[in-house]
Amino acid sequence: MPSMPVGLTRDLPAGRVMHAEVDEVDVVVWRAANGEIAAWNNRCPHRGMALSHGFVRGNSLACLYHGWHYERSGRCSYIPAHPDLEPPATIHATKYAIAEEGGVIWVAIDGDASGSENDLDPLRSMIVDASEETLLTAASATALGGGLPDAGPEGQFSFGADVVRLLCNALGENRTQVTVLASPALPVPRRRALSRWCEAMRRLAEKGGAS
Amino acid sequence: MSLDYAKNDWYAVADIFCLKDGPRQTRLLGTDLTVTGPADTATVTDAEGNRYPAQLRFDHVWTTLGDAPRTLFEIPQGDEPGRRRVPCGVVRVRCSPLRAVENFLDIAHFPFVHTDILGSEPQTEVRPYNVEIRDETDEVWATQVKFFQPQAARSAGDGIITEYDYRVPAPTTAVLYKTCPPKPEAQDVIAIFVQPVSETECDVWPWMALYDDESTFSEMVQFQHEIFVQDRSILENQRPVKLPLDPRMEIPMRADLTSVAYRRWLKKHGAFYGALTEDA
Repeated sequence: MPSMPVGLTRDLPAGRVMHAEVDEVDVVVWRAANGEIAAWNNRCPHRGMALSHGFVRGNSLACLYHGWHYERSGRCSYIPAHPDLEPPATIHATKYAIAEEGGVIWVAIDGDASGSENDLDPLRSMIVDASEETLLTAASATALGGGLPDAGPEGQFSFGADVVRLLCNALGENRTQVTVLASPALPVPRRRALSRWCEAMRRLAEKGGAS
Repeated sequence: MSLDYAKNDWYAVADIFCLKDGPRQTRLLGTDLTVTGPADTATVTDAEGNRYPAQLRFDHVWTTLGDAPRTLFEIPQGDEPGRRRVPCGVVRVRCSPLRAVENFLDIAHFPFVHTDILGSEPQTEVRPYNVEIRDETDEVWATQVKFFQPQAARSAGDGIITEYDYRVPAPTTAVLYKTCPPKPEAQDVIAIFVQPVSETECDVWPWMALYDDESTFSEMVQFQHEIFVQDRSILENQRPVKLPLDPRMEIPMRADLTSVAYRRWLKKHGAFYGALTEDA
């Protein structure tokens, strides 16, 4: 399965935990104190609790329910109910491949994770209640400063020299997580204008598209 | 799922207070019911007008949908003079009724879910305790369960080692007996009566019978409510929603021996309503 974009690097600082969905699988993504990042099945093997409700302790993720610690390798390293016990090596979270490229976090449920290369800057992340197809159609039909964008491949939309790229990750049938990139080093007012364009695109997509 | 087995248990569907404002519309094991007061002569009917038996026990109205109901268990301590009996109202939880019971039997979560109330780090250790299925009553019991608690009850001041006994007299009921801070020779009784709305949703009726002359009724209800709302944030985020009975699906440790015995006991009885069985 291909790698999917699940958000921006800048939105997941050290010590932060987030929930993601990739190919209909619930995923927890978290960053250790040392800056390393991991993506696992969002389920503690002990009692099935969502690990995305957990908390980072140093370089481990702890489950909220009973505080079991898991290292970045996925292995359970500490069980608070039995502080002197070395947890059996068989207890571990289910790991997925994760990569960070161009300020975007990518997760793959099967195989290796890799991002698409780009020289763009991260702009924002959003969730739209529409399919990817509807969303891209709506983007083509959303004007900025009176002009419609030129639609390119791979979710790319151009307004003259400025480019916006919409990286889509389907969440079920009619919901899409969009990680938005834009041309590098744009002035702040221009970035704001592009962000507002994203909002307008979302409103149009959620109304059912361009028609 | 095993609806036939579940139908022959009794379930709390109202408490003595909630019927004062009029009948309670509710659902039990997927069947819509109307419970009409007063509580001591309550009637329980379904949408077609079929009437089901009702009895008032432990300050709740109990009913059963089955043709051959098992006898409703007793909680003899509840009738002791001097205790205050506190029905704590109802909490709706989107989880399996069996997960709600299992969570009630668990102490290892206290420091993390009920932080600084029922437990606190670094006192997280669960010492060995006894678990058995008592043949004569066919109940799950865990005894001599000891845990450090910063504020075990409304009537507890500083932290104490609290001693618990746990009892499961029916698949959706759990009772605990714990150290009573103002009266060390006695035990407080706290129970949850879980009303299975469906296999994945339940109404939980906490009930207490305590020696506590200081707290007001609403303070005691408030304390229990606060605890249970913390539990709900866990219960609604466990996957799968139904309780897995296949031991390979969720890994227990020694602290979980009560839960292990509970799951085995459910399996032995075929009490699968709200459970995920191997062949599911």
